[in-house]
Amino acid sequence: MSLSKCFEILTKYFPSFLLGIRTTLIVALTGTLIGLLIGLLVGGIRAIKLDKTASKTNKIIKAVIDGILKIYIEVFRGTPMMVQAVFIYYLVYTNIVRWDKMFAAIFVISINTGAYMAEIIRSGIQAVDPGQNEAARSLGLSAMQTMMNIVLPQAIRNAFPAIGNELIVNIKDSSVLMIISITELMFQSNSIAGTTYRFTETYFVTAMIYLFMTSISSVILNAVEKKINHTRTSLPQSDTSIESIVIAKKGADHVNN
Amino acid sequence: MSIIEVKNVRKSFGNNLVLSDISFNVEKGQVVCLIGPSGSGKSTMLRCLNLLEDIDEGEIIVLSQDINKISDINSYREKVGMVFQQFNLFNNMNVLDNCVLAQMKVLKKERKEAEMIALEHLDNVGMKDFAYAYPSTLSGGQKQRVAIARALCMNPEIMLFDEPTSALDPEMVGEVLNVIKDLANKHMTMVVVTHEMGFARDVADKVIFMDDGLVLEEGKPQQIFNNPQNERTKQFLSRVLQADL
Ligand SMILES: Nc1ncnc2c1ncn2[C@@H]1O[C@H](COP(=O)(O)OP(=O)(O)OP(=O)(O)O)[C@@H](O)[C@H]1O
Ligand SMILES: [Mg+2]
Repeated sequence: MSLSKCFEILTKYFPSFLLGIRTTLIVALTGTLIGLLIGLLVGGIRAIKLDKTASKTNKIIKAVIDGILKIYIEVFRGTPMMVQAVFIYYLVYTNIVRWDKMFAAIFVISINTGAYMAEIIRSGIQAVDPGQNEAARSLGLSAMQTMMNIVLPQAIRNAFPAIGNELIVNIKDSSVLMIISITELMFQSNSIAGTTYRFTETYFVTAMIYLFMTSISSVILNAVEKKINHTRTSLPQSDTSIESIVIAKKGADHVNN
Repeated sequence: MSIIEVKNVRKSFGNNLVLSDISFNVEKGQVVCLIGPSGSGKSTMLRCLNLLEDIDEGEIIVLSQDINKISDINSYREKVGMVFQQFNLFNNMNVLDNCVLAQMKVLKKERKEAEMIALEHLDNVGMKDFAYAYPSTLSGGQKQRVAIARALCMNPEIMLFDEPTSALDPEMVGEVLNVIKDLANKHMTMVVVTHEMGFARDVADKVIFMDDGLVLEEGKPQQIFNNPQNERTKQFLSRVLQADL
């Protein structure tokens, strides 16, 4: 393998690589984001604990929904994304609608990521101490309000490293989506290698590009994580607005005499 | 009429019968202390009052309604404040927001009004200067005072305390008990599960001794502490009062 040949391939086919990078990033980023939304929804629903006083019907409905979500998670985590991609693409293409490949790719990577995210979010939720949940409920907040305002924000914070890791995984694993011929980096590399017959050099360049994208992503993710953790532990800034708010009613209107 | 009436309440967790037959009343403005050995079902009883647990048999009437038959649990809960042993502050928000959240979401107050009410209650418990602090930066006693203020912000008619000082370092117990005493002086109706016998003696209008899921004895503090009738009350008190020395 010659490095100069690598460089030559990179410069000569730069536009093709660039298209590959662009497609890969679009698929990986949107897939991770939509996957996160799916994960929040699915993980959130799975983690909701009904009141002990909830009605039988509600308990049954919840159990059925939980069962369906569990199957979704198991199926998508238990089969290769490459298989999911071809199967779903052709299933829809031949039976429902001749859909766009790019759209199909984003669809597949999103629901695949969603299955992983659901479990990440669920364990993030379980790591939030249940006492806060009870305190919120004892103040009259509903299960949903408690989830949105107290539990999920902390769960996302807990789970941030794992969520970020999904992005990195998706940058790499979106390569299997070449199976449905979208112009992501792996697909582009295959065509370049096919024209140059320089397989080693071409795929070396490809590997370096992937490494570059994942490294940049981890640097960014680490910076974001630091920032999140910083706001959690930062000491209070003195805020003069406390003093400026006039306490209108002194005394105790909360006391029931 | 009593503000809380607990009638023949029975409750088990699986095969574990925790409350076998509990009855007692709380009058408006009264401070009632629940005492008893560990595992006797005090927390469970308190949690039933706030519908964090449901009961198997019996009746709990609070504010003239059978609480196990009400459909809108959340609007019931807003009237009954609860303070926990472990404080349970919301770690993702500062002290002020801890006190503001439920006012806005449940009582539908404007942020400005909610903040004023919050600051007033925080001031009463001596925590106004910490309004913008996050819970992780506070001591246990400070957290518990915030938790009390947070509950009071809902303008509850009844306050429930489950061992509010048991998780505190000894030097912080006083500051929290003082806040609760203040509330007693303002005639807040309170049910307090506590191991602080001195507090129960000074503040309670009524002391209820529970063991094995039964109310074994109840009465005025002087009566329970100075002249207990039940053999097990005597044993329990001699144990804890000795430990206090
Ligand atoms: N959610 C639960 N599930 C199963 N068992 C429970 C649950 N909560 C409490 N128990 C059991 O109920 C019994 C009474 O517990 P409870 O917490 O009410 O006692 P307590 O009087 O508050 O004791 P302590 O002074 O230690 O707080 C214990 O045996 C406990 O193990
Ligand atoms: Mg207890």
